[in-house]
Amino acid sequence: MRQSSRRAAVVANVCVCFGTAVPNALADETCNSPYISNLIKGQEDFVHVWTLGVEGLGDGSDKLVTVDANPASKTYGKVVDSVSVGGRGEAHHMGFTDDRRFLWAGGLDDSEIHVFDVGTNPSKPKLIRTITNLPAKTQFVGPHTFYALPGRMLIGNLSNTADQGGVTGMALYNNKGSLIARYDMPTASLGGVKGDGYGYDIAINPAKNVLLTSSFAGWHNYMRELGDLIKDAEAMKHFGNTMVVWNLKSMRPTQVLSVPGAPLEIRWSLAPGQNWAITAAALTAKLWLIKQGEGGAWSAREVGTIGDPAQVPLPVDISITAAGKGLWVNTFMDGTTHYFDLTDPEHPRQTYQRRIGTQVNMISQSWDGKRVYMTSSLLAHWDKKGADNEQFLRAFNWDGHALTPAFEVDFTKEKLGRPHHMKFTARANQSRTLAALAR
Amino acid sequence: MLRVSRRVAACLSILASAQAAVDVSPATAPRMEFTPLAPGTYQLQAIQSVEDATLLDERARPVRLSAFTRGKITLLTFFYTYCVDPLGCPFARQTMTLLRDRMLRDRELARAVRFVAISCDPGTDTPDVLARYARHFAPDSRFEWRFLTARSVSALLPVLADFGQDVSVDVDASGRATRALHHMLKAFLIDQRGRVREIYSLAYLQPQVMLNDIRTLYLERRARALPAK
Repeated sequence: MRQSSRRAAVVANVCVCFGTAVPNALADETCNSPYISNLIKGQEDFVHVWTLGVEGLGDGSDKLVTVDANPASKTYGKVVDSVSVGGRGEAHHMGFTDDRRFLWAGGLDDSEIHVFDVGTNPSKPKLIRTITNLPAKTQFVGPHTFYALPGRMLIGNLSNTADQGGVTGMALYNNKGSLIARYDMPTASLGGVKGDGYGYDIAINPAKNVLLTSSFAGWHNYMRELGDLIKDAEAMKHFGNTMVVWNLKSMRPTQVLSVPGAPLEIRWSLAPGQNWAITAAALTAKLWLIKQGEGGAWSAREVGTIGDPAQVPLPVDISITAAGKGLWVNTFMDGTTHYFDLTDPEHPRQTYQRRIGTQVNMISQSWDGKRVYMTSSLLAHWDKKGADNEQFLRAFNWDGHALTPAFEVDFTKEKLGRPHHMKFTARANQSRTLAALAR
Repeated sequence: MLRVSRRVAACLSILASAQAAVDVSPATAPRMEFTPLAPGTYQLQAIQSVEDATLLDERARPVRLSAFTRGKITLLTFFYTYCVDPLGCPFARQTMTLLRDRMLRDRELARAVRFVAISCDPGTDTPDVLARYARHFAPDSRFEWRFLTARSVSALLPVLADFGQDVSVDVDASGRATRALHHMLKAFLIDQRGRVREIYSLAYLQPQVMLNDIRTLYLERRARALPAK
């Protein structure tokens, strides 16, 4: 392969003349669709942080914050750019398009989808489009997961326009921003388990032609103060308890799996020969393995415990290593990250934990697993209050045994907001787009 | 303007020697660990329409792109003749050759389908180069497999933009374009009305699935051709 950057080995499903064999990239460095181009297998240059605006802090707007993550850079660990979207809509997750040139970033409250160009100059992303028709055209609200398919973006939503509850579905847009189709989450019984209609994450395995979805809660719950919510027994019944297996080609659900306690992020092991994915259930603090049996049917089984479930540690984001042999799990309430050995996915074994802050939510690791990035915010109304409301991006180096702090950005001190989802980019120092060369 | 060599003979020489080194082994191919759905049992969504443009065919004639994206089921790719990435253009070509050979078992189906390959390096891939390439790699007269280029990079850019096909070029220390091109491998399945109905990147280049998708569009086409009752 040829490197398009001295600092970043950016490879994958890209034709390169005079190149040597490019191995079929099997996973991304974070929770991206792994079937997109330009996986960063070397040193990432930038971490983009989709950040919730806070009233009275800076411009108060949701924004895409870009932090220099290359230790060789003069601005390493510093904020180098910030693009506000001009409003506060509960910024949450984002995802690259298939060619990794654009980031789609969603707001869970206003249901707007902001598209940033991060390919032209990743140090200075540009907001190029805002898609506002999701509720009107699909009756879904709360765009959560943005999962790239070739030439299009599949969006997992959290709620609906009718009652703002948890029954929802997925929306499929083309890369130009036009809606192609909508898909309801199943509410009927499939495989002996009744669907609850709830949605959250999306994870695809093309080799299996399988799409997995998980389930969380509707607008009424995720936009409510956490302290009030957990005292409301009726509201606490309205969390997802299922995962759904879909036929990717037909986009039809084929099985509903019982996974109680709000199963959130889903990660496939994409190592050849593996036939499983893993998730963490937030309310029960359990790891669940979703595995295909010899007959082809899928099953979900509880395989591990995260922290002390009696203390409700609230596992939130997870990050699987590229080889599928290790899993990071962040628990929000105690601000702790846990590392599990997944060598035997039927029996995950915690081998390390470290308290990161008063609260911690998202986690992303580099492809080689040597660098780990974490942010603090869960949801505007679920974050802790007062002194416990730390808002940070903290970067660490991981040697396989312990995390060592690398840098941190205080998002309150910098008047940025509540940092949430992260994505990596790398410069393309030695290449130019055809369009740029034609000018 | 992309500054690349126009030495056709040299290019083909490089091409011939490079092709010999290509070894697309099953271990590097996309995996398919499922039985694909039967043709016609599922629907392919209309992803986008294709904007028209003027390109050049293998005989240097100006042609409308719509003439190659309508009327038949079309599998369209972007490529360049000298690509030697075993998981890039050669892999796409190998997959398409396999598909063509499978479709030729059903003459009626084969007549309803065409392949189109558009060069993303019009500076090097002149009509003459494409004609030679076509004779070398797609010589079966029973199947329409066309190779198109553009008068210039500027004429090509709107086509690339419409398909969302990224292309970048490595530059040398003085900023001059080299012959190292990067583009994400994609194949676009287009129905007879000029609408993109499926897009395959490397992980989705599964020949049996692609064949079933083509047959699904073919069944749609036949159903539409039947007289209304």
